[in-house]
Amino acid sequence: MVQFFRVHKTFGRDAEALRDVSLDIRKGEFVFLTGPSGAGKTTLLRLIFRDLLPTAGQILVAGRNVVRLPGREVPALRRMLGVIFQDCRLLMDRTVAENLHVVARALGTAEDEARRKIGYLLRQVGLLHRANESPSALSGGEQQRVAIARALMNDPLILLADEPTGNLDAELATDVIRLLREVNARGMTILLATHNATLVSDQAKRTVVLKAGQVVADNGA
Amino acid sequence: MRLPRLGPLLGDTLVNLRRGGWGGLAAVGAIAVCSLILGCLWLLTVNLQAILSDWRAQFEVVVFLRDDITADQRERLRRWLHAEAAVAAVQYTSKEEALALFKREVRGQASLLDGLGENPLPASFQLRIREGHQTGTALRAFATALERLEGVEEVQYGREWVDQVGRLVSVLQVAGWAVGTILGGAAIFIVANTIRLAVYARAEEIEVLRLVGATRGYIRAPFILEGLFQGLLGAGLALLLLFAGYRFVVWRLGLASPGLFGLGGGRFLEPLHVAGLLLTGAVFGGAGSLLSVRRFLKA
Repeated sequence: MVQFFRVHKTFGRDAEALRDVSLDIRKGEFVFLTGPSGAGKTTLLRLIFRDLLPTAGQILVAGRNVVRLPGREVPALRRMLGVIFQDCRLLMDRTVAENLHVVARALGTAEDEARRKIGYLLRQVGLLHRANESPSALSGGEQQRVAIARALMNDPLILLADEPTGNLDAELATDVIRLLREVNARGMTILLATHNATLVSDQAKRTVVLKAGQVVADNGA
Repeated sequence: MRLPRLGPLLGDTLVNLRRGGWGGLAAVGAIAVCSLILGCLWLLTVNLQAILSDWRAQFEVVVFLRDDITADQRERLRRWLHAEAAVAAVQYTSKEEALALFKREVRGQASLLDGLGENPLPASFQLRIREGHQTGTALRAFATALERLEGVEEVQYGREWVDQVGRLVSVLQVAGWAVGTILGGAAIFIVANTIRLAVYARAEEIEVLRLVGATRGYIRAPFILEGLFQGLLGAGLALLLLFAGYRFVVWRLGLASPGLFGLGGGRFLEPLHVAGLLLTGAVFGGAGSLLSVRRFLKA
């Protein structure tokens, strides 16, 4: 589903974020990407959704070479992906449901279908009863669940999660991971970047360890 | 390219305009001032061109003939004039006709004619000149050629008028383009900066839209529409001020009461010009927005 072939990424002249990374993530896998801060986890994720281009190497996502993808085809690539971040990036001047509706409109989803889907996803993440509230009225864990629901609005093939539990206590973090495992059980490929070693060790999942921009361990390669 | 549906797009645009507040008003004001100055220049040019055109329709070159011209020479001259491409019509006035005309014009001042021995007025040809040949250069060349012909005493036409009005219209047209370009640039710059504030205010939403695969067209559309609205509003305001100013000037000068679009007395901008000015305002606004949102999406 996602393949990296000898990927290098350098910022500026000599700030090497990734060095010779090769990786093969198969369809339906749940992969933890771990390592200390600055190891290159976020850079690796940004390369997948073409927020960055590599300095060298090739990257295939669902069979498409994202390095050679023309700019006008990037939106189509991103419609196959769902992305969630540590800071949730919710729109605080909209309600929970409106945060999901923004995505439906951008994707051209019919109004009825959009409403049905928003209801379904909010039920899935356990927040249907708070659909008309502002995200600012929710706890950190609830906000992250809204972000997950929003990332699932376009039925992505791959879900990329960058430190989604970084701001949450252990209990809420486990909650979010449980939700992501449920999503994964329905066949979605998930790549989750975290520097939380405890969280990773609790889950019997494939783990790719990055250090100083290099893959130093991969228990599922 | 996926574009937003019109209803929600208009809704977004109205929300943006409302959120824009004073910044939005500044953009409308800037476009109004630029459009007003452009409109003034345009109105001035249109009126001068109209005066020039009316005057050209009646424009005549008078060829005065020598008293000793023979009938044969006069006939050759008539044939030459008829064959000339610049000449639309030729009318001959004999010495006797000229005197009769003069007497009619000075009726009531018969003393002016006392002391006239023989008829001092020359015979002449009055020539109507085709519009394409009414430029100062063409008329000068034509008059010089005429003066060389046998039997011609003098050639008269409003040379200074033709040259000066023609020059003024040309200067105004060039000034219009130059001022228009400068003002257009300024308006686009101001709108770009105003819209940039709106773009930054919605940076998070834009980021979300980019991540979920919204096309650039979809993201840009509400901002560009906002700029177009601001431009139209500014240009509309300028047109209202321009018309009020025009009516005031016409009233102060005591000209005939004008109607809109030149019906009645003076001449205001024609519907096509009005549409042009509105379109110019909208283009200023839209271009400013596009510039701003493009820069943001590239960053």
